[in-house]
Amino acid sequence: MAPKSFAAADSDFANVSPFYQAVYDTLLRMEPDGTLVPMLASEWTYNEDNTVLTLKLRDDVKFTDGTAFNAAAAKQNLERFKAGTSADAQFLAALQTAEAIDPTTLKLTLSAPDPAFLGYLSKDASFMQSPASFGNADIATNPVGSGPYILDTAATVTGTSYTYKTNPDYWDKDLIHYDNLVLNVYPEQTSLLSAVKSGTLNGSLIDIAMVQEAEAAGYKNNAFEGNWVGLMLFDRAGTTNPALKDIRVRQALNYAFDTKSLLDAVNQGRGTPTTQVFPPSSDAYDESLDSRYAYDPAKAKALLAEAGYANGFSLQMPSTPLVNSSIFALITQQLKDVGVTVETIDAGNNFIADLLAAKYAASYMILEQQSDWQLINMKIAPNSAWNPYKYADPKVDELLKKVNLGSEDEQKSAAKELNKYIVEQAWFAPWYRPQNSFVTDAKTKVELQTGNVYPYIWSFTPAA
Amino acid sequence: MYRFVLRRLLSGVLLLFVITTVAYLLLYAGGGDIARRLVGPTASDAQVALKASQLGLDRPLPVQYWDWLTGALTGDLGRSWFNGQLVSTGVGSRLSVTISLVLGAVLIAAVISVVIGVWAAVRRGWIDRVVQFVGVLGFAIPGFLIALGLVSLFALNLKWFKATGYVPITTSFGGWAATVTLPIIALSIGCIAAVVQQVRGSLIDALRQDYVRTLRARGLSFNRVVYKHVLRNAGGPALAVLAVQFIGLLGGAVIVEQIFALPGLGQITVAATGQGDIPVVMGVVVATAAIVVAVNLIIDLAQGWLNPKVRLS
Repeated sequence: MAPKSFAAADSDFANVSPFYQAVYDTLLRMEPDGTLVPMLASEWTYNEDNTVLTLKLRDDVKFTDGTAFNAAAAKQNLERFKAGTSADAQFLAALQTAEAIDPTTLKLTLSAPDPAFLGYLSKDASFMQSPASFGNADIATNPVGSGPYILDTAATVTGTSYTYKTNPDYWDKDLIHYDNLVLNVYPEQTSLLSAVKSGTLNGSLIDIAMVQEAEAAGYKNNAFEGNWVGLMLFDRAGTTNPALKDIRVRQALNYAFDTKSLLDAVNQGRGTPTTQVFPPSSDAYDESLDSRYAYDPAKAKALLAEAGYANGFSLQMPSTPLVNSSIFALITQQLKDVGVTVETIDAGNNFIADLLAAKYAASYMILEQQSDWQLINMKIAPNSAWNPYKYADPKVDELLKKVNLGSEDEQKSAAKELNKYIVEQAWFAPWYRPQNSFVTDAKTKVELQTGNVYPYIWSFTPAA
Repeated sequence: MYRFVLRRLLSGVLLLFVITTVAYLLLYAGGGDIARRLVGPTASDAQVALKASQLGLDRPLPVQYWDWLTGALTGDLGRSWFNGQLVSTGVGSRLSVTISLVLGAVLIAAVISVVIGVWAAVRRGWIDRVVQFVGVLGFAIPGFLIALGLVSLFALNLKWFKATGYVPITTSFGGWAATVTLPIIALSIGCIAAVVQQVRGSLIDALRQDYVRTLRARGLSFNRVVYKHVLRNAGGPALAVLAVQFIGLLGGAVIVEQIFALPGLGQITVAATGQGDIPVVMGVVVATAAIVVAVNLIIDLAQGWLNPKVRLS
């Protein structure tokens, strides 16, 4: 996947993070285990109610156009990102004002506390671009940052292959592990596999089906679980499908899937069955919840009968050409076995847009598992994008408040309680956490990143 | 001859104008939701509106078209919606990759086809039958299968060539050759199969003509008759087939470029149409239409040179 635009205010993250991290520094840096460490900001403190964040900035950093990095530059970048067209602009929703107190002091005032805010400052929201370059006509293809590398535009084929040279004036030589860097985009699994087999690449994110062949070609398989797969049960109030209002129906949908067999069939058994949406790295995670709804079609039928659906009910779900059609056939089959009739509607390329527009009561989906507060704001909070029916529950609201405003211990226990409650209430019907693979050759070492599919740029090192 | 060229040139330009205008209207009329797709499904309405105005999509279609057309006349085809690159740069750099593949394949096909075609037509007998059989086979096997076979044998097992990627000829000739040889071979096989049949067929027809008998009766050697006279007469249809092949190969290159991960026109076309990157798709339309018009012009001129009668019609 190629980056859309190198303009910091339009940037994305996740899969495309390395393209940007090579050229743009962030205020904070996240270690592979999720710990936040200084980067352009050497220290930071919140006020008592976590609404004013004061950051001390480095004074020895220059952008590659020669201008100096300072608090004014940081302020402008944050404001531009918040007002820009990045898909992650809402990361800075809580940011009310940014003030440059002096060249090395930045004061950020938040409208309300946001436990994920510091994390956002280690991502695309705080990519620092030279303010002198904001108006450049070619900024989408020629980034001007202060990062460890400089994009070599002459050797780059936009959309296909990006070549970087080291930044000779970089302020932290320890973060540079390579003299030059080439990031290739492969449009096809076929050509990616050829590139892996011919040893062209030092490292690559690959499809699970290619793991064996990559291993045969001498690559090491660094496996990780970054997503969960299963059903989203959006319509918990029964607005469009009254059956889903009943907790027993939602639980029955959880019991109906033979997740172990699904994992074997769809992902070669590489992954872990689960019934929770929080990842093992999270404070909310509870191992026992992974098997809360072990496959039990008889129990599913009994619960449906108890809820008054002894003769079953029908459920409309969308399909998309982006997902292997056999998945939808499997869903239909498994639910038919417990008496639920699935009507699959081809949503084409509007799949995601239709889901977010609350057109379906339930759907198959693969979603990422981030840190707690980010995950909550993505799929649990009443105003989150993946809660399209804006379903709210007083108990959830109360727990959300604790996760947001409580002391550190209260936050952790509230997150755990929230997770348990969501699983009991069957807000979702997760099947498993599928394994993803980042393969590396013998010359390359990599540390995988918590909460990001692509390892961070500094985590790659030449094997000694 | 001068008027003939001028007339062809003018009709070429007119054709180019019509093609691009129709393409523009068709593409842009259907591209309403693009701002939303660019900023992502979770973006706010304000972000969508901001994106649309950044791209100038909030203006009336005729105004957008007039801007595009006046820009295009000065070589400015706008910027990609998905990576911000100048369309002229993006399409231009990829055009050179595709042209080197297609031109390479056509040149190889031309030489090999003429040699084999003449051989089969003159010798006939079992040689001719083998050539015909192999020709049908070469035509029937899909290009991507040939490409995959070539990759696994010559790139992955023998390691003679690169499996993926592209090195510009200006960077290193050896590197360039290592990256384009297999794709060119993959592309040329179907082309050879098609052109050999044409050369063979028209040569056999030409050899039956009265003038061949007359020339032979005058005491000219068989070789001289074939290479000096018959081939020139049979050349016209072969050239026409070659031109059709050239244009067809632009399409065939799409798949081969995907398999070898070459940054050619095919790759940018697949990516741009999939995403709905309309400025880039328009750039590709302009480039391919210009190539088709230019190839036809060159073939017309070559036919005119081979056969003066063509110039009059």
